[in-house]
Amino acid sequence: MICWVVSDSFAEEVSWTDNAALTGTLETEWAGMIDDGSTQKLETILQPELNVSLTSDSSLTGILRIRGDAEDKLEPGSPYQDNRSTASSSLYLGDNVDVELRELYIDSYFDDTLLRVGKQQVVWGQADGLKVLDVVNPQSYREFILDDFDNSRIPLWTINIEFPVADESLVQLIWLPDTTYNDLQEPGSPYAFSSPRIVPQTVPGFSTVILDATKPHKPLSDSDFGARFSTFLDGWDITLNYLYHYKDNPVFYRQILGTQVTITPEYKRTHLIGGTFSNAFGDYIFRSEIGYSTNSYHVTHDAMDSDGIEETGEASYVLGLDYSGITDVFLSAQFFQTVLTEDPPGISRDQVENTITFLVEHNFANETWKAEILLIQSINDGDGMVLPKISHEFSSNISIWAGTDIFYGDSDGLYGQFEDQDRITVGFEWGF
Amino acid sequence: MKNLTKVFVLTLVSSVLFLSPASANTLPDGKELVKRVNALDEGEFVTRKIHMKMIDRRNKERERFTVSLRKYFGKDKKSIIFYEKPSNVKDTAFLTFDYKDVIKDDDQWLYLPAMRKVRRISASDRGDYFLGTDFTYEDIKKEGKIAIEDYSFVTKGEEVVNGINTYVVEATVEDREDAKDLGHSKVVIWIDGEINLIRKSLFFDLKGNELKTVTTSDIRKVDNIWTRHILNVQNHKTGHKTIFTFSEVDYTSPVPDRIFTKQALKKGL
Repeated sequence: MICWVVSDSFAEEVSWTDNAALTGTLETEWAGMIDDGSTQKLETILQPELNVSLTSDSSLTGILRIRGDAEDKLEPGSPYQDNRSTASSSLYLGDNVDVELRELYIDSYFDDTLLRVGKQQVVWGQADGLKVLDVVNPQSYREFILDDFDNSRIPLWTINIEFPVADESLVQLIWLPDTTYNDLQEPGSPYAFSSPRIVPQTVPGFSTVILDATKPHKPLSDSDFGARFSTFLDGWDITLNYLYHYKDNPVFYRQILGTQVTITPEYKRTHLIGGTFSNAFGDYIFRSEIGYSTNSYHVTHDAMDSDGIEETGEASYVLGLDYSGITDVFLSAQFFQTVLTEDPPGISRDQVENTITFLVEHNFANETWKAEILLIQSINDGDGMVLPKISHEFSSNISIWAGTDIFYGDSDGLYGQFEDQDRITVGFEWGF
Repeated sequence: MKNLTKVFVLTLVSSVLFLSPASANTLPDGKELVKRVNALDEGEFVTRKIHMKMIDRRNKERERFTVSLRKYFGKDKKSIIFYEKPSNVKDTAFLTFDYKDVIKDDDQWLYLPAMRKVRRISASDRGDYFLGTDFTYEDIKKEGKIAIEDYSFVTKGEEVVNGINTYVVEATVEDREDAKDLGHSKVVIWIDGEINLIRKSLFFDLKGNELKTVTTSDIRKVDNIWTRHILNVQNHKTGHKTIFTFSEVDYTSPVPDRIFTKQALKKGL
């Protein structure tokens, strides 16, 4: 009987191999600084993906990323990764090469209930380029927000269940015991944050000591969890979202003793509730996304403040309008607003802040060529970034592209802080 | 000479006035022919693979390997296409709800793996070309059938296409706005009256110039349903061609309802 079972399972293993597919991409991108022509990165990424059909109702997906950068300027040396859990850390092979298990999960259907267990990305929201609800997974700021979110989002070990509750209605429950947070760049990196909006500033006459962050590390008590209800009603795509999570950027608490300023980064929890709505009206698509965080933390310059941080609630929303009434042209505009429920003195932002984005895409020659330009502009600070790009599908498996990333505005602004990082990029991707 | 011209003109007018109606009386009504095309059994559900080949005017080829599923929910039709290869388009997926009620706008979504988001797409741009092919979104959605409410039909005669007797029906888009949405003003269609399938279509743009020709071949029964296996589109304006080749067509294996959801669009097959 035992022999029979072993034999049977072996036969099944063989059939798994028969149902496996290995695909992937090899991508190389060069980035050169506009001001002095120096190379910022010369990066090659090999990203193999394995898909195995285990049974008719279950499958396995694994994605690995092997990244080499000949310049090693974006993340000099081997980062400490003290923001990541051990299970989600990358492996650094010297200063120039890192290997990361991007995703590894099993999908299983039980009737119409989908269970996805493993390392994965959970993407919420309707906004492009700006995040209100797309905060389930943390993000790498290795290249600020210039990289595709698919690449910069950090996958987490997650249990994700989705089940229908009515016709066209679905409930998603997620549990994330992975205590991994944003990859913030260390001082000296091109995209290290320097804006006083995000990091506390040094004070003349005072020495500053920055302590290691007290990162949550208990998989059970420090885990995040969330729920989403989605439905399709009278042409409207609607979701209602809830997430109880640690904010992915640490809060920089300040303590002044004598002439020494001590900064203690600490991760803090918040409740996020919100929703998304979208519908088509002729050639127009209306998209919106709204979220409210019960706890939002802001650096204050008020020297009398006991810990240098002000806490308040924060509401954010995005209104987006897409237009596709011109053949081969896609136009998209978004208005993004964040509102603090209080206006504490000395904080480095306005109580109400507005940002707009414009995207124009034009496809040519049966979508083998695409020209696009994206503008993100902060209304309050007057800074922003412009990203023009042209890409070409050279063949079924090879794409090439060239673009520029231009920052402008005050160096205290979210975008203006990278004004010296204007660059040109050229790249190609081969799929196999 | 003037008398000769008058005789010629009179003969021509007589032909138009008397011969054509006599011929038309012997031909089936164009709208009825199209209704028969639309009524052709296409199964309650179907799964098939579609190999898409796009060829530019310099004969440079691109390929897509996809799986397409379709299912009727009452009189409404839901379709989904999953892209499997090559890697740069892998996991792209397109979902459409085609409602029987013509008053109700259809709904469409596209999943772009680079964004990992399902995007709502306007269903009013029926004449836009579908993901780099020479088929429009309308062509993809209708699968060889015709939105009868958009056209007026006239049967022009009979012709032999690749050895098959066909009726030639001229379908003219009645409303200028509909023509702009569809991207064409008129279609001449060659209908195989034996099996009620369109063998060939010639589309004309808004100015009346030839736009593209769609030819259908390798038509054979699968699970007792007449099935088109090769669709060839020649775009006369750009010189670009698209060939869809259908394989592993299966009308018998049940397709779960959950396939036609935004969840499946993201997850893939």
